[in-house]
Amino acid sequence: MFRTILRRELQETGASSTLLSALVALTILVPLSAYIQARDYRRVVEDYAIRQSIHQTENSSQSVVLIRPIPPLAPFFNGAYDSLPDEFRLRNDTATTNTPSRDLTPLDWLFPKIDLSFVIGVLMTLLTILLAHDTIAGDREQGALKLILAGPIERRTVLAAKVTGVILTATIILIYIVFLYTIVVMIFSEKTFDLSGGNLSALAVFTLVAVIVLVVTAALGVAVSASVKRSSVSLFACASIWIVIIVIWPTFGPYIASSSKPAPPPEAFQRDIASKEKELIQEELAEHRKTAADLKARQVEVEVAWRQYLELRRRWIERRNEEIGRIVSERKERIQDQQAFARRISLFSPYTAFKEVLGSLCGTGLESYDEFLVEVERCRLQEFIPKGLDLRSRQKPWMLSASPDDRLQLLSLQTPSPTLSKRLAAAAWPLSILIAEMIILLMLGVLSFERYDVR
Amino acid sequence: MANIRNFKTPVALVIMTLLLLLSAHVLALDYRNRLNNWSVNLNSQSEPIAGGRISYDLSDGSFSHGVGFSHPPPIQPPEPFSALIKGMDGEMDRTVSVSQRIVIGARNGEPATSSLFDTPDTSFVVKLLVSLFALMFSLDAAPREKESGTLRAMLAQPIRRRELILSKSLGTSISLLAPFAIAYFVEIIYLHLAHGLLNDRQDLVRAMLIFGFVSLYGIVFAHIGLFISTITTRTRIAITTALLTWATIVLILPNASVLMAKLLTPTPSYNQLNARLREARMRVLKEDAEENSAARTARPSIQSLPRIYEIERQETDNYIASKKDQNRRARLFAALSPAGALTFGLSDLAGTGMDAYNSYLDLLRSSRDVMLDALKRSLNLSRQEGDKLMQEAIETAVHRQRRAEPLGASLRSSIIPITSLLAWAVIFGLAACWRFKRYDVR
Repeated sequence: MFRTILRRELQETGASSTLLSALVALTILVPLSAYIQARDYRRVVEDYAIRQSIHQTENSSQSVVLIRPIPPLAPFFNGAYDSLPDEFRLRNDTATTNTPSRDLTPLDWLFPKIDLSFVIGVLMTLLTILLAHDTIAGDREQGALKLILAGPIERRTVLAAKVTGVILTATIILIYIVFLYTIVVMIFSEKTFDLSGGNLSALAVFTLVAVIVLVVTAALGVAVSASVKRSSVSLFACASIWIVIIVIWPTFGPYIASSSKPAPPPEAFQRDIASKEKELIQEELAEHRKTAADLKARQVEVEVAWRQYLELRRRWIERRNEEIGRIVSERKERIQDQQAFARRISLFSPYTAFKEVLGSLCGTGLESYDEFLVEVERCRLQEFIPKGLDLRSRQKPWMLSASPDDRLQLLSLQTPSPTLSKRLAAAAWPLSILIAEMIILLMLGVLSFERYDVR
Repeated sequence: MANIRNFKTPVALVIMTLLLLLSAHVLALDYRNRLNNWSVNLNSQSEPIAGGRISYDLSDGSFSHGVGFSHPPPIQPPEPFSALIKGMDGEMDRTVSVSQRIVIGARNGEPATSSLFDTPDTSFVVKLLVSLFALMFSLDAAPREKESGTLRAMLAQPIRRRELILSKSLGTSISLLAPFAIAYFVEIIYLHLAHGLLNDRQDLVRAMLIFGFVSLYGIVFAHIGLFISTITTRTRIAITTALLTWATIVLILPNASVLMAKLLTPTPSYNQLNARLREARMRVLKEDAEENSAARTARPSIQSLPRIYEIERQETDNYIASKKDQNRRARLFAALSPAGALTFGLSDLAGTGMDAYNSYLDLLRSSRDVMLDALKRSLNLSRQEGDKLMQEAIETAVHRQRRAEPLGASLRSSIIPITSLLAWAVIFGLAACWRFKRYDVR
């Protein structure tokens, strides 16, 4: 019986014009966006090489540039990668890192770039909810529900068959889309994109999470359909809910968070730092002036003076790190507070939760960015400053003839490639919210269908 | 008139008012934050540069310690209208330092997670809701009236089908635009009273123009809804078709047209520009070295500096021109679909759109030219005179701010979107008329 109903459901959805038109639209849109993403990714990879070769000749004991490693799955989910700084210049005379220039991206303000997450999170969920909205109410209107339930069959089985029908259809389309997208990305990224090992399994998990999102939407559609009598009402309700949770809420969430938990503007932060820096610079200069006069009066040798100078320098760098670091970490706390609030209020939307999970899966989310920042800070404190000072101590700037070799080679930052389980653990919160939503909605569907009036 | 009596119009009124108010609230706070950011930045521009050089002079040699710390580069003030329609205004929050090059900093100042989604401004709310309500209001023109039998009764009277569909279109538009008008003016009044924005008379004219533009957009979708209702026979199918059409027009087409524009106009990335500039510099240096082998330094000679400047100017201009080209094409393509036309048209009318952005780029370029000119002239002067000249140039360049776009220019640039929307309204109106003439009322 389960099979019969499932087959009927599949035949019905398979023949619907909704599915057909959606397939046509997706088949046009998916390769287009995949092509653009692949091209952009290829460019990012090329740029990475260019940037690295430029910086390698310019890095010195005074300043180095660190580049963010490219997240391997960026063409599938851009996330926040494009809009956040991916390069930092470290200097030994300030404790702050500043960001060099970025590309001009005015169009992204009007139309955020679309990638696979948009296609699945917006278009596929719409399709799923359109398929699911009339599973119960539609059958009641046609009178088919009465006939089905007249047989020796439990209501739960009927519901299970119907939900499975919708999910199966949606999953098949999903796999088709992911496949198409991957193929186009593979072809047009010209071997810069590597789909093997970890990436392939991450992509498989990506698809799995997408299936969960679709199940959530299907369960929502069925639950609504099982609690109203007419399918047009069900459609209206489903469409309104979809618009609120998928389109409107995720967009408003971050802005609501930033207006209810405001952080001071970035320039104010810059200014705080600048005034502190200036204060420290004046103090340091005063001390150097005193030491220089003192050394001159004592008529010490230049090498001894140089060593003393370096010692002084090291002390001041440490002090600066400490004092500026305090301001920076205060600011970071405020920002993280705001981000956490934004997440709390917008995670109940499956679309946001989906993007959060993808962010940790693909390494393009805000958490990965924070990891990058931590890595930059670590590199600054543990590699750049000691190595720079070491290099400096071997130089002899008073010997005019030989210009000192000041080139500093640092290892480029490595792509943090945590294991899949670690990436999933980072996404535990949104993932568990998605799963909880799925279970609650399915239960709701079962409960309301048990009491459904089939007349 | 049936729409007013049933729940649709009040529901539309409540939803639109709530969302527009919410959007006005969060974006006004966002604007205030950005304004604050800019004024802090402006104040720190006048702060002195800290630094100095101490030299350690000893009997058998000397070395020195030098340090300098200057304020962050300037940013442009935000446009007050961005509280209503943010458009591309956020792109101008980036710091820009102008010397012989234009160096634009990273994006900052926006809520951290917002880069993943759209901006929830009025344009966003209108794009989604006005179109959706217009479709929902106009859908029951034929199928539902047929299902309830009123269509037959109406057509039995001496009334032409053309007139009937015309009155349907009018009725839908009025019952849609009346709640929108109320919601929109509540929003404007809120922005005016609570946040002190939109005080100018010109601002009010802009706000009125925006309303007119949105009305046109609503009418387009009302006509699309009428057309769908005349090609379908059952309400449910009509609604499904309408939803799919809505998703295609509002969510897919504008994005796809921007993708097409990017596809057809590839632009170099900033890093590629940087690499090119560097390459040119190296080339000039090498030629320099060949000319007089005695001076092998890492710095170009005074004779070749103007050449390097010229190459840098040219390359940067090419980069900006290619970006502009891409933008122009994106606007042209997007204007072909109603939602894309709305996004570009509204931001143009609000003065936060493509033209405002282009004039911003022009401003940067002209500041750069001022700096370049001073740099070139200072090459032939003594050091002190040159420094003085450069200081003057920096003063003029830093204090240049973009002016708000005049209303006339905004109107001119929104001609294409307006024409596109008009054309869509007419096309779907005629199509609905034509289909309705042969509609089977049984």
